[in-house]
Amino acid sequence: MNVTRREFIQITGASAAGLAVSGLGFDLSPVKAHAQMLKTKYAKETTTICCYCAVGCGAIVHTSKKGDGRVINIEGDPDHVINRGSLCSKGASISQLTENENRLVEPMYRAPYAKEWKKVSWDWSLTQIAERVKKTRDAAFEYKNAKGQVVNRSTNIVSVGSAAMDNEECWIYQALMRAIGLVYIEHQARI
Amino acid sequence: MSKSFFVDTTICTACRGCQVACKQWHDLPAEETKNRGTYENPADLSFITYKVVRMREQVIDGKLNWLFFPEQCRHCIEAPCLETAGDPGAIFRDDKTGAIIFTANTKRLNTAAIIEACPYNVPRKAADGTLAKCDMCLDRVENGLLPACVQTCPTGAMTFGDRDEILALAKKRLGEVKKKNPKAMLIDEDTVSVIYLVAYEPKLYCKNAMASNAVFDITRQMALKRMIRPLTNITSRLL
Repeated sequence: MNVTRREFIQITGASAAGLAVSGLGFDLSPVKAHAQMLKTKYAKETTTICCYCAVGCGAIVHTSKKGDGRVINIEGDPDHVINRGSLCSKGASISQLTENENRLVEPMYRAPYAKEWKKVSWDWSLTQIAERVKKTRDAAFEYKNAKGQVVNRSTNIVSVGSAAMDNEECWIYQALMRAIGLVYIEHQARI
Repeated sequence: MSKSFFVDTTICTACRGCQVACKQWHDLPAEETKNRGTYENPADLSFITYKVVRMREQVIDGKLNWLFFPEQCRHCIEAPCLETAGDPGAIFRDDKTGAIIFTANTKRLNTAAIIEACPYNVPRKAADGTLAKCDMCLDRVENGLLPACVQTCPTGAMTFGDRDEILALAKKRLGEVKKKNPKAMLIDEDTVSVIYLVAYEPKLYCKNAMASNAVFDITRQMALKRMIRPLTNITSRLL
């Protein structure tokens, strides 16, 4: 018999339906009656901008209203003019910036020539960073250039900025870099 | 009105936003994978991966093409998995949307038979024997949202809506694509809720892009089960 599988399904489907209307089928409705609740139903909604590339897609962050306020979900903001709800694979995974067991929550330090990273305190690391930046910056600080013009710059530190910074963090970061006299400042989003 | 997806592979860029958005919404963990010499990753669908973008390098008419195919459950209108199971507590159809939903009770089914019954090789089994696959984001759809994969799609390759509108859109778009690619076609559009538009032969995109006719034996088993099921129901009621 030359019957395709789809035709076969249809033939047998008809026979089963025949039995069903004769009262021998059984009622499925109780099984199907459970409506599903949205995991974001009781969450707080906050809008944000994706921190990854220069496109600047809008996103909605759903955080728990109870207790810890952790992130439940982040998805594209349908009302945002740039992306209208869409997000690429990087943007769609953005909740993992916070909700991630591999995320570092303490500063780590690897001494010169050491092979291992070790946990250090915030106090120690911030002091170390400040001291070293100051030392390096002061070592090459120029008040005036060769023509005698005031420049107030330090050219021996370069900033290649973080791709995971948001707009507001970038502003603060830029202000800090300019304040200490950096002129070589670059950010991932421009690349 | 039941719902359908339209996936226009001709404008898919394989960004994999759909893949990630699916994981994100369903709170599914990452797969451990390794570099297999392709951007296609993970290697296959699994109990924790409902959607995979297939990427194939194919030489067509002497020209290299990189073909993308975001693979997922097709939510068949006559679903062989559902028919094979015959157990609405484990696999059922949501009448409003047409979504085929697997529950935790799939553990009590003959899972090998369910997997073999699928013409698109979609369901995957966990270590404890439970089956999983795309659920059409039924929770989102019931609450007026788009499925996570559709909402996130940056190029508009994926659309979702009432079946008649989606079918009309698919046919309109097919007309446009055919001008450039005469071999373009919709895949199994009359029998599934996830309608793919491809520019070339479906088998070039991935192995199970189109339903295969080669599973006739399995379908026969399925058909027999379906025919005798009302009788087994009666016996279980009498007992």
